Amino acid sequence: MALDYRKCAEEIAANIGGGANVVSAAHCATRLRLVIADNKKLNKKALENVDGVKGMFESNGQLQLIIGTGTVNKVYDEFLAVTGASAATKDDVKKAAASKMPLWKRILKTPGDVFVPILPAIVASGLMMGLVEALAKAIPSFASSGWFGFLDMVANTAFALLPVLVAVSSARVFGGNIFLGCVIGIMMVHPALMNAWTVTPTNQPAVWNLGILKISQVGYQGHVIPVILAVLLMSTIEKKLHKVVPEMIDLFVTPLVTVLATAFATFVVIGPIFSVLENWVLAGATWLVTSTGGIGALIMGALYPFTVVMGLHHMYNVIEAGMLSSATLGVNIWMPIATAANFAQFGACLAVAIKCTDKKLKSVALPSSLSASLGITEPAIFGVNFRFMKPFIAGVIGGAAGSLFGSIARFTASTDIYNTAGVLVYAKGAKVPLGATTYGVTGIPGLLAINNIPLYLILLAISGGIAFVVCNFIWKEEKPEEVKAEEPEAKVEAPKTVVIRCKNGAVYQPVKGKVVARKDIPDETFAGGVLGDGVGVVPEEGLVVAPFDGTVTSVAESKHAVGLESQGMELLIHVGVDTVNMKGDGFTCLVNEGDAVKAGQALIKFDIAKIKKAGYNETVAVLLTNSDDLEEVVCG
Amino acid sequence: MKTFEYTIKDPVGIHARPAGMLVKEIKKYASTVTISKGEKSVNALKLMALMGMGIKQGDTVKVTVEGADEDTAAAEIEAFFKANL
Repeated sequence: MALDYRKCAEEIAANIGGGANVVSAAHCATRLRLVIADNKKLNKKALENVDGVKGMFESNGQLQLIIGTGTVNKVYDEFLAVTGASAATKDDVKKAAASKMPLWKRILKTPGDVFVPILPAIVASGLMMGLVEALAKAIPSFASSGWFGFLDMVANTAFALLPVLVAVSSARVFGGNIFLGCVIGIMMVHPALMNAWTVTPTNQPAVWNLGILKISQVGYQGHVIPVILAVLLMSTIEKKLHKVVPEMIDLFVTPLVTVLATAFATFVVIGPIFSVLENWVLAGATWLVTSTGGIGALIMGALYPFTVVMGLHHMYNVIEAGMLSSATLGVNIWMPIATAANFAQFGACLAVAIKCTDKKLKSVALPSSLSASLGITEPAIFGVNFRFMKPFIAGVIGGAAGSLFGSIARFTASTDIYNTAGVLVYAKGAKVPLGATTYGVTGIPGLLAINNIPLYLILLAISGGIAFVVCNFIWKEEKPEEVKAEEPEAKVEAPKTVVIRCKNGAVYQPVKGKVVARKDIPDETFAGGVLGDGVGVVPEEGLVVAPFDGTVTSVAESKHAVGLESQGMELLIHVGVDTVNMKGDGFTCLVNEGDAVKAGQALIKFDIAKIKKAGYNETVAVLLTNSDDLEEVVCG
Repeated sequence: MKTFEYTIKDPVGIHARPAGMLVKEIKKYASTVTISKGEKSVNALKLMALMGMGIKQGDTVKVTVEGADEDTAAAEIEAFFKANL
């Protein structure tokens, strides 16, 4: 007889004091492993008698219920759904992390939290829409084909039913049950309601009379703020109810009351008020972009990278999503601003990558700029531009200029243009603003989503180009100066005495102290010249510095010796005699094999006292290991 | 060409002194001696490269001797390994 997973999970939940009593839930191959908050709430006898539970014991603070292979995962899934366990625990963690942030930042961060997870859906739909439209433009017969009809339907799904995606994502963010959240989202675009996109002055929705309340029979297609708020309310109600409703009836009372209360609040208060408010926000953003002669866009383009720095740029997604599903706009005219701002950071970063001489900086700047050109600007901004500030400012200037262009650029519609809902937005011959069919895509990939490629290319050239030129002009590599600022310290230590000289070059004294002849190094191997000619230094200070500009060829595992190479000279600096036996204790090696080093750069730090204490001689051997192959070697 | 394998017994491995002694020994012969451990192999006359291999006690190295006096060289070097390393 097949097990009724749901029933099993419900019975388990009922006998452990409900989801609220679960700290965490996990499962292995056969067992459901629960961490219980209050063990007194457990009804162990009843648990053992639950159909499907083959055994029960407690171990390591876990309550383990043996359920069986192949069934435990199904019971587990049901258990999570029944108790909301994972959602609750995740929510707690998130809450703890979020509560450290100031309120205004939390509020501004919420849209990003909601919109970033649904980005794949939006990108898939948006890019598909861009491609389908481009095809329709290029091949007129395509527009009337079945292919177009089908692909268009597939492409606009995410936008036509956007509230559902937003609701599910919001429920996750706010810690509500995602299925209840989904119900709220679906409700707001229910087919029984009139599609918000088809509302015109002459085509008004009917009204349900509920005594003193009136509910307009219209959906919330294209709205996001009312959806987020509705789900926020729903999650709050749900969590409150879970706390106050007795566990015995929690399971059916809470979802019922939650959905019903949310539905009323949504259709009576939240929906009507906030859809109007959202229209204002959208109208404001649209006005800013289209009706200020580009000044608004210029300012936004300049501010945009600052919001990226604060991690708040995802809040624009609300505006962008609204624009995409707006009946009057139909395209995301915010995207050109985002692109200009991002591509300008690319330009500035590229300028740094080309201009800089520091290898390390170059190796960061180049890939960062490439990533920025594809719309991911964080590496460029944080890794390069913002660090030196001037490239960032150059990016701000380029972004502002590009945004200005993007907002005043218009092209003439060659065909009628419809929005995602199939509503005619621009008739043939109308002036159309530059915009995209999706959000979350900027830079070069934006070419797939933009409604006019030539204008977009000009926008890229302006923003990236200006930022590049300005950055080249105002930014000078500060790196050498910085190093100089640090170097005086090192310079003080920089060796001045030459201890070994040969035809190939000179070896400066790498350790402070008394120089002794090779023969006087208290070790027959060193003294006998087996390892090459050189000198010994009785160290006064536990620091080995590079004796020339060269490369580290080897570093002993026990950190007491280092091999260097320069101009054909192979040099071994060996700290102490037999110190290999100290196995690195008392030694710190500051370089790695393959590192390029400058004369005076610290290589090894060592503890003279420790060497002596360990019973070894501390003399540092400085030996040219290939002295036999070198000419005119003079030591000391 | 002669080859032999040897597992290092010296507790410090082929470090400065043993390496120096080994190089000194190998210099006696005309043959080219290559020491390899795993993927890495070096000319045994290059002291730095030899030390850079980081050969430790318990590591097995492969020694290749190639040249005019390879027969005697290989035998002598193997004896040296056994005696000193």
